[in-house]
Amino acid sequence: MSEDMLLQATGLCKYYHSGDSDIAALDHVDFQLKKGAFTVLSGRSGSGKTTLLNMIGLLDNPDAGSLHIAGEDVLALATSARANFRLQRIGFVFQAYNLIRVLSARENVAYVLQLRGMPKKERLNIADRWLSEVGLDGLENRRPDQLSGGQQQRVAVARALACEPALVLADEPTANLDSQHGESLMHLMRDLNERCKMTFLIASHDPVAMAAALQCVYMQDGQIVSRDTV
Amino acid sequence: MVLSLAWRNIIRQWHRSMLTIAAVAAGLAALIFLWGFNDGVHNTMMRNLQEVIVGSVQIHHNDFFKKPSLSRDIQQNNVLKVALKKAEDASQIKAVSWRLDTFALAVGDDVSEGLVLLGMNARAEEKTTRIAGKVDQGRFLQAGDGAVCVLGATAARNLGVTLGDDVIFLTQDRFGALAADKFQLIGIISSGEMGIDRGLAIVPLNVLQRMLEMDGRYTRVVLQIEPENLEAVTTSLRTSLADQDYEVLRWYDMYPMMKQWVDLENAFYYIFLAVVLLIVAAGIMNTVLMSMLERVREFGVMMALGCSRRILASMVVVESVILGGLGVLLGLAVGLALVTWFHSIGIDLSAEMDTVARFYVDPIVYTEIDSDHLWQTAGSVMAAAIIAAFVPVWRVTRLQPVEAIHHV
Repeated sequence: MSEDMLLQATGLCKYYHSGDSDIAALDHVDFQLKKGAFTVLSGRSGSGKTTLLNMIGLLDNPDAGSLHIAGEDVLALATSARANFRLQRIGFVFQAYNLIRVLSARENVAYVLQLRGMPKKERLNIADRWLSEVGLDGLENRRPDQLSGGQQQRVAVARALACEPALVLADEPTANLDSQHGESLMHLMRDLNERCKMTFLIASHDPVAMAAALQCVYMQDGQIVSRDTV
Repeated sequence: MVLSLAWRNIIRQWHRSMLTIAAVAAGLAALIFLWGFNDGVHNTMMRNLQEVIVGSVQIHHNDFFKKPSLSRDIQQNNVLKVALKKAEDASQIKAVSWRLDTFALAVGDDVSEGLVLLGMNARAEEKTTRIAGKVDQGRFLQAGDGAVCVLGATAARNLGVTLGDDVIFLTQDRFGALAADKFQLIGIISSGEMGIDRGLAIVPLNVLQRMLEMDGRYTRVVLQIEPENLEAVTTSLRTSLADQDYEVLRWYDMYPMMKQWVDLENAFYYIFLAVVLLIVAAGIMNTVLMSMLERVREFGVMMALGCSRRILASMVVVESVILGGLGVLLGLAVGLALVTWFHSIGIDLSAEMDTVARFYVDPIVYTEIDSDHLWQTAGSVMAAAIIAAFVPVWRVTRLQPVEAIHHV
């Protein structure tokens, strides 16, 4: 794997059983991602983009294939080591925001830093800085149910970036937002990608997301059918 | 972090949490009150048995308790005095009374009755037992009394004697010769205990010693000891008197039925405790499991963010411990308040207790709780709260992040 390559997946397969037959959610997928990329995985529902994202995020196991992230064979890691790898290297942004309801915006962002063992003062400072970065100054103490959908998704982005991970994975981040907020969020992520040199891999079939992408990868029936670089 | 998140999750479902805490508290408070009633009855029974006549510990000549005979007498020799002094110096003995007793035939108004003739020293007995307080007609023995006696109410009725009448006691002296003397009836005891009321005559110790040719000789030493010192004093005396011809018997060595009855009733309470614990554990498990199932997606997100299963499991356990802990604290407060309140005012069961009064049970029950019962019960409820977390923890540790995140 070359030095500027962050991720290399080879022959990834994932099958789901349905009655007597197996359905291939991923069918021998080969996929690479360079450091600093801003790539959108696109395709219709059921094309396999979320499954691929889950594999790369170490949330699910492939039935076959290999996966290296930052030079490490991540499929060989034990469960607890995978959790630690996610904590240290990967940031997640989910479709449904998925903030922890009992924590404030600041605490949600600081949570991952706390898992890393960072002292309280330091992690709260960092959380405030990232909330400011995503345009949520003054809303630090609000709980998720006191924020709009767009604001919650910005908190989720801040949470994903707070640890400055090598790779940020976002699954349909604009799906629950109106077009204006969706566009704003994609601009924000693209801006952070440029300024912070973080690698983004986004699963989305939203034209707004694809418009912001540096590279679009199209999937169909569990296979990558084309790659477009802007 | 774990504590903070657990506490906030409890607050998030405040009404449900409060209901669970209240259920735990009510269960524990009820158990504490029941133990308070139970211990109040049992301790009163055991105290009454010891304090009315038997004492906490008795020292006899070997085998006297099983085969009573004047030939198995004891004297105030140095060995016995040193053994008693050692325990008295350690402030473990409250009072000592030396007694002499034998079987006799009492003759009243043309009627005779077999009973136990018991010689007591009035002054020593006043410090050792409450038998004098059981006299409800006339008076108990006093220092300087001559040939006077106190009879149980049933014995007096059977003999057809009343206060001021003469009662003749026929028995054998130390040498087997016939001994008989006339005593004036000065008091009648109504204790509610059949053995005392029907079969006992109490006379001055020195008069009985003279009558039986037993000057300076006794059949038993009765000791009154605080319950917490009972075993230590018994062990000490048995050690001191190991090579001598003495037997040192605790009250329950002599009257094992009462202790067996208490142990049996306690066993029933432990079964009851187990049932309540199951209910408490089910209540807590229900709350924690519901809370956990409502947050499957949140747990999935936390796992995706890098939170280990160990931390998630700790959070569930801490939630359970907080619910149980608050319930235990509240239950302890309410339960102890109930026990304290009824300890001061008592529970009047006189209407229901006519027949059991003879078993040394007072008609007014003053609740009290033994510390071991209190802490066992509170500890068991707390343990049930922790055990209740096992199922939710088991479920959490088996969550798969990708399934949990998409959980609806």
